[in-house]
Amino acid sequence: MTELEKKKQKDKRKFALISVCSLCIFFTVWYIATAVMHLMPDYCLPSPVQVLEAFIYKLGNKAPDGGTLFQHIVASLKVALSGYVLGAVIGIPLGICMAWFRRIDLFVTPLFDLVRPVPTIAWIPLMILWFGIGLGAKAAIIFVSAFIPCVINSYAGIKQTKPVHLWVAQTFGASRTKMLFTVAIPTAMPLIFTGLRISLQAAWTTLCAAEMLAANKGLGYMIQLNRSLARADLIIVGMLTIGFIGTIFSAGLGKLESKMVKGGKKG
Amino acid sequence: MKKHFVGEKAEKTVYAILAIATFFLAWAFITTFTAAGETTPGPVEVLKLLVDSFFEPIGRFTLYGHLYYSIRRVLVGYVVAAVLGIIVGIAMGTSRYAEAIIKPIFELIRPIPPIAWIPLVILWFGVGELPKYAIIFIGSFTNVTLNAYTGAQRVDPTLIGCAKMLGTSDRDIFLRVVLPSSLPQIFAGMQVALSTAWMAVLAAEMIGAQEGCGWIILRGSDTTNIPLVLVGMVVIGVVGLLLATIMRMAERRLCSWNRMDV
Amino acid sequence: MEQNGRIDHSIISLEHVSKRFESAGRVKEVVNDVSLEVKENEFVVLFGPGQCGKTTMINLIAGLEPASGGTVTVDGKKVEGPGADRGVVYQTTALFPFCTVMGNVEFGPKSRGIDKKTRRERAQYFINLVGLEGFEKSYPNQLSGGMRQRVGIARAYCNDPKVMLMDEPFGHLDAQTRYMMEEELEKIWQKEKRTVVFVTNNIEEAIYLADRIILLTNCPTSIKEEYIVDLPRPRSYVDPEFLKLRKTILDNTEETL
Repeated sequence: MTELEKKKQKDKRKFALISVCSLCIFFTVWYIATAVMHLMPDYCLPSPVQVLEAFIYKLGNKAPDGGTLFQHIVASLKVALSGYVLGAVIGIPLGICMAWFRRIDLFVTPLFDLVRPVPTIAWIPLMILWFGIGLGAKAAIIFVSAFIPCVINSYAGIKQTKPVHLWVAQTFGASRTKMLFTVAIPTAMPLIFTGLRISLQAAWTTLCAAEMLAANKGLGYMIQLNRSLARADLIIVGMLTIGFIGTIFSAGLGKLESKMVKGGKKG
Repeated sequence: MKKHFVGEKAEKTVYAILAIATFFLAWAFITTFTAAGETTPGPVEVLKLLVDSFFEPIGRFTLYGHLYYSIRRVLVGYVVAAVLGIIVGIAMGTSRYAEAIIKPIFELIRPIPPIAWIPLVILWFGVGELPKYAIIFIGSFTNVTLNAYTGAQRVDPTLIGCAKMLGTSDRDIFLRVVLPSSLPQIFAGMQVALSTAWMAVLAAEMIGAQEGCGWIILRGSDTTNIPLVLVGMVVIGVVGLLLATIMRMAERRLCSWNRMDV
Repeated sequence: MEQNGRIDHSIISLEHVSKRFESAGRVKEVVNDVSLEVKENEFVVLFGPGQCGKTTMINLIAGLEPASGGTVTVDGKKVEGPGADRGVVYQTTALFPFCTVMGNVEFGPKSRGIDKKTRRERAQYFINLVGLEGFEKSYPNQLSGGMRQRVGIARAYCNDPKVMLMDEPFGHLDAQTRYMMEEELEKIWQKEKRTVVFVTNNIEEAIYLADRIILLTNCPTSIKEEYIVDLPRPRSYVDPEFLKLRKTILDNTEETL
C-alpha cells in the first residue's frame, strides 16, 4: 500500500515538471517570437536575452535615465518607506482609537468615509500642487495610500473582539485601558497585519504612479522615461524589479507576521 | 430594545452631520482667513465649479463626456478581465494540469503592479482606447483569477462526495457544485478588481489621454487650477462609491445563501 | 449468490474488509478484517467508542474510500466508487448551501435527468414526510440544526437508494432535538422501509433504532459482538428490557482513550 504514497510523490514530481516546462515554453516562445521571427520590433518587445543584457548594463550605467538600477531602487525605497512608516504609525493607532472609543468612532468615521472612496492615485495632482515635486509630495501620497488600509483593518480588528473575552477580563478586574492592551489589541493583531500587508502593496503601487508623474529618480520614473525613449528592454527590467521588490516586501511581512501573531489566524 | 436602537441610529446621524459640518466649516474658515486661501479654494468655490462643469466643457467635453469615457473604459476592460479571469481561475482550481501550466507564469507576472504596465502598454498600443482597456484588463484580471482559483480550490470535498453519492456526473458537479460554491469568493475578487480597475483607469488617463476623470485632475494640476483638481477628486470618489455599491447589491442578490442569519 | 431471495437476501456484504491509512510514511490501521452481512430492510447500527473507524466503514460502503483489503458488495455488485444506489446522510449534513430545501432534495433526481414535474412531486412528498412543508424555498443557513438534518434525510430518500448510510446524523444536535429526531427517523423508516446502516456512539439511540447492533472495538476496528434487538417498536427509553440491554452492551464496550 505504499503504492499510494509512491503515486502521490510521482504525481508531485510530474506536476512540478509540467510547471518547469511551462515556464521554459513561455520563455522559448518569447525568444522565438522576438529574436528569431521578429514579430514585434525590438523597441516594443525585446527578446528575453536583450532584457537580461539590459539588466546587466543597467547595474553599472546611468544612461539613458540618469541613474543606475541600484540608485533608482534606493530612491524609490526611500520614498516608499518614509510614507509607509508614517501611514502605519498614524493609521494603526487611529484605527484602534476609532474602534475603541465611541465618541471618536462617531465623529471620525464619517469623515473617514468621506475621504476613503477617492483612490490614492487621484491625490497625486493635489499633493504635487501642495508640496511640489520633491520627496514631500510623494511621501504624502504614499502616506495616504498606506494610511487608509491601516485604519480600516485595525478598526475592523478591534471591532471583532468578542464581548465574552471582555467580560472575562472585566471579572478579573481589568481596567478599560488594560483590556485594550491585553484583550482587544491581541485579538486585532492578525487583521492589523493584513492591513500592513495591503497598505505595503498599495504604497508600492502608488509609488510607481507618483514617480511616473513627477520625479527625476526612482523605478517609476525609470520606466516612464524609457517609454519616451522607446527602450522596452529597460522598461521590462524596471517592471520586473518593481515586482520583485514587492514580492520581497510581502514575504518579509509574512515572516514577521508569523512571528508576532500568536495563536493562529482564526479563533 | 427597538427604541434603544433608534436612539443609537439618531446619535450616529447627529455626530456624522456634526463631523462633516465641522470639516466644511474648518475648510471654509482656513481658506478664507489664512494664507492657505491663496493656493487652496474654499468649499463654495469647488461646489460652484462642480455644478458648472456639468454645463461648461473642460477641455473637449463637459463632465458628462469625461464620465462617459472613463466608465466605458472601465467596463470594457473589466468585463473582459472578469470573464477570462473566472475561466482561468476555475480551470486552475479544478485541474491540476491547468494549475501546473498556468501558475508559474501567473506568479511571475502577478507581483508587477498594473500601473507599472502603463509605459509598456502605451509603447505597444499607442494612444487610442486600446491601451486603456489593456491596462484596466491587467488591473482586474489578477484579482479575479486569484479569487476564482482559491474559491474553486476550497470547495468542501464533502459536498463533492455528496453529489457523487447522489449520482451526479462530473460535468454537473462542476456546474452545480463547484461553480456556485466558489461564487462568493469570485464576487469578493470582482469587488476588489472593480476598485483596482477604477484606479487603473485614472492612472492611464493621467499618463496618456485627452479626456476622462483622470485627465481632469491632471489638467487641473498642469494649469495649477486647484478647484478643478478637487472637482475631479469629488467626481472620482462618487463614481468609485457608486461602482462599489452596485457590486455589493449584486452580491447580496446572488449570494444571499452565503450570509448568516438572513 | 442466491437470486431474488427477497427476505433473507443480504443486500450489503463486507468480506474481510480492512483499511489502512498512510501519512508521512506511517501506516495506521483503521479497519481490521470486518465481515458483515446486512439483510434487506434491516436497520443495522454500528456502535462503538469515540474515535474508532465507524465513519471509515461508512465511507468504505459508500465507495468514497477504497478498501485496502477484502471486498464490499451492495446488491450483488462490488463497490468500486460512489453511486446513487447508496444514499448517505452526513453528520455535518453537507447540504448544498447555495440550494434551497427543494433544490437540495431534488438534487439527486435532477442529476439523473428526471423531468421537472416528476422530481418536484417526489421531492415534495419527502419534504412533507420529514415535516418541512412550507420551508421549500428556505436556504440551509436559515434552518435550525434539526431541520437541516431532516433535509439531509429527505435528500437521501428522494434519490431512491437501495441502502441508506447514516453517519452519526444526530451527533451535532442537542439532546432534546436528538430524541425528537430519533422518533421522527423511526416513523419515516416505518413508512419508507429501507436498508439502513446507522453509525452512532450513543447507546440509547442505538437501541431505540436498531434491529441489530454491531458492537465495534477500538481502533483498529473489528466486530466485537452482535446484539439482536427485538423489542417492539416504538420503543421506550425506560423499558426494563431496554435498560437491561443497555447495561449489557455498555459493560462490553471498551473505554475510549
